[in-house]
Amino acid sequence: MRPLFSETSVAAVRLIVAVTFSVATIFIDSRFDALTLVRQTIKTGLWPVEQLSFLPGKLVGELIQWSQSQNLIVQRLESIALENQRLKTEQLKLHTLRAENAELRRLLGVKERVNERLLQAQIERLSNDPFIHRATINRGLLAGVMIGQPVISADGLVGQVVVTYPNTADVLMMTDATHHLPVQVTRTRERAIAVGVGRMDRIELRNLPDTVDIVPGDIIETSGLGARFQPGIPVAEVKEVIRAPGQPFAWVVAEPLAPLARLSLVMVDLSKGGS
Amino acid sequence: MTFGLTWLLTLLLIAFPYPSFLLFVLPHFGYLFVTWWGLMRNYQLSMTLLLVSSLPVDVLYGTALGLHGLLFASIAYALTLLGPSIRQVNWLRQSTVIFVVLLVASAVSYWVRTLTGQSPEFHILVLQAFFSALFWSPIRWLYDFLAQYTQDSEAQRQ
Repeated sequence: MRPLFSETSVAAVRLIVAVTFSVATIFIDSRFDALTLVRQTIKTGLWPVEQLSFLPGKLVGELIQWSQSQNLIVQRLESIALENQRLKTEQLKLHTLRAENAELRRLLGVKERVNERLLQAQIERLSNDPFIHRATINRGLLAGVMIGQPVISADGLVGQVVVTYPNTADVLMMTDATHHLPVQVTRTRERAIAVGVGRMDRIELRNLPDTVDIVPGDIIETSGLGARFQPGIPVAEVKEVIRAPGQPFAWVVAEPLAPLARLSLVMVDLSKGGS
Repeated sequence: MTFGLTWLLTLLLIAFPYPSFLLFVLPHFGYLFVTWWGLMRNYQLSMTLLLVSSLPVDVLYGTALGLHGLLFASIAYALTLLGPSIRQVNWLRQSTVIFVVLLVASAVSYWVRTLTGQSPEFHILVLQAFFSALFWSPIRWLYDFLAQYTQDSEAQRQ
């Protein structure tokens, strides 16, 4: 006779309980964001593990640096010094332009833009999940990083801070499929929403009017709508404008200006308050 | 002790900053951890422990909390049922069965990810399952070695 409570049925009951618990956790985390504290606690506990996993990479980096000949280092220093001189000159021009801009804004009666307070940070690791475009940076709550602050690089926008921990923070890149960004085309001031599609080299502007004036090569920048990002941060370059015959909407494919897969240094805009 | 060590090794393997071009050929070390416990030590495996140990994996990958709990529980259940029949066969057959089990887990993962707003591509999940099955043999050897090491050190202490 078949036993009423076989081992298999006990295992099945355990499975049902585990599945129910997991589904409830997924639902609560993804719909209500109610488990941020749990995530922060676990991440803080994982800090030693993460540091240990970075150790081989750091050691290899140190070894490479050590093995480089002195000549190479001197050459590199010279080129950095030259680059520094060029940037200083550019900065002087920028100061003049800023002053002119402020004067013009004062004359026009337009409120002056808040100056950025940028905090330099290093990307420690990218998520190893191919569908999640998140990066962990080495600055967190203790350095003044807050949720919602924009993260930029020398080339353009990277994304925004979504979770903060004491010493690190998670940055959701603009190419993540859950990221939406209000943008405008620099040339025409045409506004749109840039949507990540889960590929590091691509964002899309969807549901634009078929008559929209966008051509390949146009630069897309943040529009400032939503008050999360400063207006005018370069975002991407238009690669393709798809106008399907018979369709009322055009579709724009753009490539992020910042090399998201290879980034190592970024800056967090601390002037934008967290949410 | 064995659970703690294998779990720590798994977390280290997951947290390691791999170059982005390797992401599509990387095995899912979390799946391999559960596979080893489901196949080799299922009599010692507790579902609660498995669920708790899946939370840091979610945090490291950045997925919704609970996703890996669901996948780990399903994989462990399937392998516990299949365990006696495939434990003794050669590594190629084991890897094939593991590939099929992970494929089903990938389908569940695809469905949950779609519901949580991501846009996963199924062929990448299939690739991940394939490479996980391919890496089964060396990972099994590594975990066996760790288990042997902990057993030896415990025996010495006694």
